[in-house]
Amino acid sequence: MSEKEKEKENVVTEKVVSEADELPKTIVRRVVKDKLSQLSMDSEVSVLRDSLQGFCESARIFIHFLSATANDVCKESNRQIINAEDVFKALEEIEFAEFVPPLRTSLEEFRQKNAKRKSESLKAKETSKKGKKKEPSSTDGVGNKEEDEDEIEEE
Amino acid sequence: MKRAGTYSGILSGGISGRTGPHLLPLARIKKIMKKSSDDVKMISGEAPIVFSKACELLIEEITKRAWNITVQGKRRTICKEDVASAVITTDTFDFLVNLVLDSANSQDSPRP
Repeated sequence: MSEKEKEKENVVTEKVVSEADELPKTIVRRVVKDKLSQLSMDSEVSVLRDSLQGFCESARIFIHFLSATANDVCKESNRQIINAEDVFKALEEIEFAEFVPPLRTSLEEFRQKNAKRKSESLKAKETSKKGKKKEPSSTDGVGNKEEDEDEIEEE
Repeated sequence: MKRAGTYSGILSGGISGRTGPHLLPLARIKKIMKKSSDDVKMISGEAPIVFSKACELLIEEITKRAWNITVQGKRRTICKEDVASAVITTDTFDFLVNLVLDSANSQDSPRP
């Protein structure tokens, strides 16, 4: 009995290790449910928990397959870093060319969002720097203001 | 006030919609990519994002086909067999056939 319990524990630990390498079920379930809500507006379709495992595993093997193909594409062009274009070519090679247009638009959206965030963070840094520079001149500000007022009056 | 990182807003879907363009964790995708082959060493920052969306599209495609099978059988619950049938009947999902057959065999094999 104790040996069987140990075997069960080993199986459980192995499952835990492999689950860490899999994609999170909660997110996969959300994707499946969102798609089902698009497909069946009237009736509610549910998904068995066991079948979710199939979705997760399918996605994981897809990543393996696609990354190996993208790696080959990258090697053929004598580069070492797999980039987005390699992935697009790989998708065409494995007969998933229909995925390429929506992926390109999604990537463009990400690039635009990233560029906006970078510019916002740069602006924030500049304003914080300006704020720090103004602090030591605050004591002299009174004198400066008087000078400004004089300039305005002269005008 | 803590500021959100680059990816957190994208993963949470941003301000507008509940589902963002990228849902799957990019670090885990990178991990799986590196395990696919010993040759895979360097991956650009944009590649996992493309992979994440590609996985989402794949899951949606399998869901659609499995749902068709469920509806044809006049049922309301997608089961594992529906997913397996969807994979087997689609040519582009040939790379998943072994997975489906393995899972079917593991179910059929008698437990000690």
